[in-house]
Amino acid sequence: MEAGGPGTCGGGAETRGSEGRLAPESRVHFRVTRFIMEAGVKLGMRSIPIATACTIYHKFFCEINLDAYDPYLVAMSSLYLAGKVEEQHLRTRDIINVSNRYFHPGSDPLELDSRFWEIRDSIVQCELLVLRVLRFQVSFQHPHKYLLHYLVSLKNWLNRYSWQRTPVSITAWALLQDSYHGGLCLRFRAQHIAVAVIHLALQAYGVEVPAEAEAEKPWWQVFSEDLTKPTIDNIVSDLIQIYTMDTEIP
Amino acid sequence: MDRDLLRQSLNFHGPSLLSLLRSEQQDNPHFRSLLGSVADPARGPPGQQQLPGRKERRVDNIEIQKFISKKADLLFALSWKSDAPTTAEVSEDNDDYYAVMPPLEQFMDIPTMDRRELFFRDIERGDIVIGRISSIREFGFFMVLICLGSGIMRDISHLEITALCPLRDVPSISNHGDPLSYYQTGDIIRAGIKDIDRYHEKLAVSLYSSSLPPHLSGIKLGVISSEELPLYYRKSVELNSNSLESYENIMQSSLGFVNPGVVEFLLGKLGIDESNPPSLMRGLQSKNFSEEDFASALRKKQSASWALKCVKIGVDYFKVGRHVDAMNEYNKALEIDKQNVEALVARGALYATKGSLNKAIEDFELALENCPTHRNARKYLCQTLVERGGQLEEEEKFLNAESYYKKALALDETFKDAEDALQKLHVYMQVILYFLLEM
Repeated sequence: MEAGGPGTCGGGAETRGSEGRLAPESRVHFRVTRFIMEAGVKLGMRSIPIATACTIYHKFFCEINLDAYDPYLVAMSSLYLAGKVEEQHLRTRDIINVSNRYFHPGSDPLELDSRFWEIRDSIVQCELLVLRVLRFQVSFQHPHKYLLHYLVSLKNWLNRYSWQRTPVSITAWALLQDSYHGGLCLRFRAQHIAVAVIHLALQAYGVEVPAEAEAEKPWWQVFSEDLTKPTIDNIVSDLIQIYTMDTEIP
Repeated sequence: MDRDLLRQSLNFHGPSLLSLLRSEQQDNPHFRSLLGSVADPARGPPGQQQLPGRKERRVDNIEIQKFISKKADLLFALSWKSDAPTTAEVSEDNDDYYAVMPPLEQFMDIPTMDRRELFFRDIERGDIVIGRISSIREFGFFMVLICLGSGIMRDISHLEITALCPLRDVPSISNHGDPLSYYQTGDIIRAGIKDIDRYHEKLAVSLYSSSLPPHLSGIKLGVISSEELPLYYRKSVELNSNSLESYENIMQSSLGFVNPGVVEFLLGKLGIDESNPPSLMRGLQSKNFSEEDFASALRKKQSASWALKCVKIGVDYFKVGRHVDAMNEYNKALEIDKQNVEALVARGALYATKGSLNKAIEDFELALENCPTHRNARKYLCQTLVERGGQLEEEEKFLNAESYYKKALALDETFKDAEDALQKLHVYMQVILYFLLEM
């Protein structure tokens, strides 16, 4: 692969130059996925459609060079496409309105003029481009479902008061959503990401899984047989890196 | 910040976290005030009191500690608490909504002793337990617990935990005879935990619903059939006979796993709110988003603006007498924005001009509903009501006409025309009455 290369594909989040500064592509991807997530919330999208939109975006720029297309247009089309895939249909009009307001805060909504129709056409055409680049494979297995089941299983094993007062579920969910700023979804299996996110949440609050030391099999191994501790550590490390980017990129 | 959570985390990670927190959160006033009460470094020289694994943990999780310290104000914020129902839930009977799994400890293969210990630590009064009667005495019966019916789902069937149900907690089935005679050893009983002696590992149960929390009082206690055993227990039994089955396989072969609504359901069960999605990114704190930037608000504003444009064009048509074109524009506007006040008033005026007074009145009334302060809507409505009243008078529908005049006056008591018309009508009606009576 040419300029794209495995370094920027999905791992774009973590690519750093010789002095440890972020590669310019990574900055762009971070900003654009931030746009996707913020727009998603303002469009009333649920977590999984937003995750799908981010995944579509990341996958697209694994195949295509960043200079070839306007990443924000790709992002808008990703949102539109994700809405269809995840059965939470969005209207292009709403996507245009929210995006326009994002880029021009406080501005009035667009008039129904030729510019509006041009933007709409661009989104629809870009959608087709995205579909073709992704070979029409736009349905993904997200960690969310796994995460929720794992949390229910854990909840029953932990002391109920300990569970109630410690927001492990919410934190794990937040960590998972935030992970879409980077391309973790493309590099690791859904189950592994789900476990890693729980691990980080437990660590953050200093919660220990009861009788962990006496168990034959650690809890994370139960959830995913082929998971190893180094993998968990890798995912956690990448995730923390993503948060670091938040401070480095305005 | 939540002091207890912070303390728990500090205890886990040790003094290195404390110093990191100090440097990262030094500008946070909440944290500084908590610092005094929470900063309780490990007693004794570090390394001695800690578990053997602690030292290595500290080295390789310094990254995690840095993360915690940076995000501490979000992680430990009081508002981060979940909305999960804090009341005990009944264990599921079916797999319809999500994949009900055997207890985690069964997969982890946790020793019996630990399971027992943790059971007695975590069981609470009011939990529902299910067991088999092992012996019946004069003072009550003993049962060996096989599973739980509410609260926490644990694997306890092999732990040989017995509970006593004293005679006084057995409701009598009939008016005479010993209530215990109804029961036999081997019966499967569902009961509520009434008393716990954690230290001596003794349990007392009751068959009265008063032993259960109010929201569970509808659950039937007493003898149950094996079909009524909770699903998690049945799956646990299956797992026992096929211990090589993995968590993942069981989960994926469960019908509930492919339920399209599973995510929504479990989010509710765990108390995670999607409408205010949680995030640890500072820029994505949704409470900082303005309502005006949301799609629905923007759409409304835009619709009103688009509709207004059509109305303006329509009014221009109207002024040059192109009524059909004007009507088209007004209808267009109302298609874009159904309740657009200007469009309704303009269309109403057009209807009135053409003589369709009833339609005009409809439009004006709807406009006034949406914007009670709209001057023109009120004015035109009054005028049209009076005009309609006049029409009705001609048709000799006097009472009807009167109501229209009255309505106009109700909207605007200063409206002279309405007042005059009403008075004239009253006089006329009196005259008629006079003649009728005279006859």
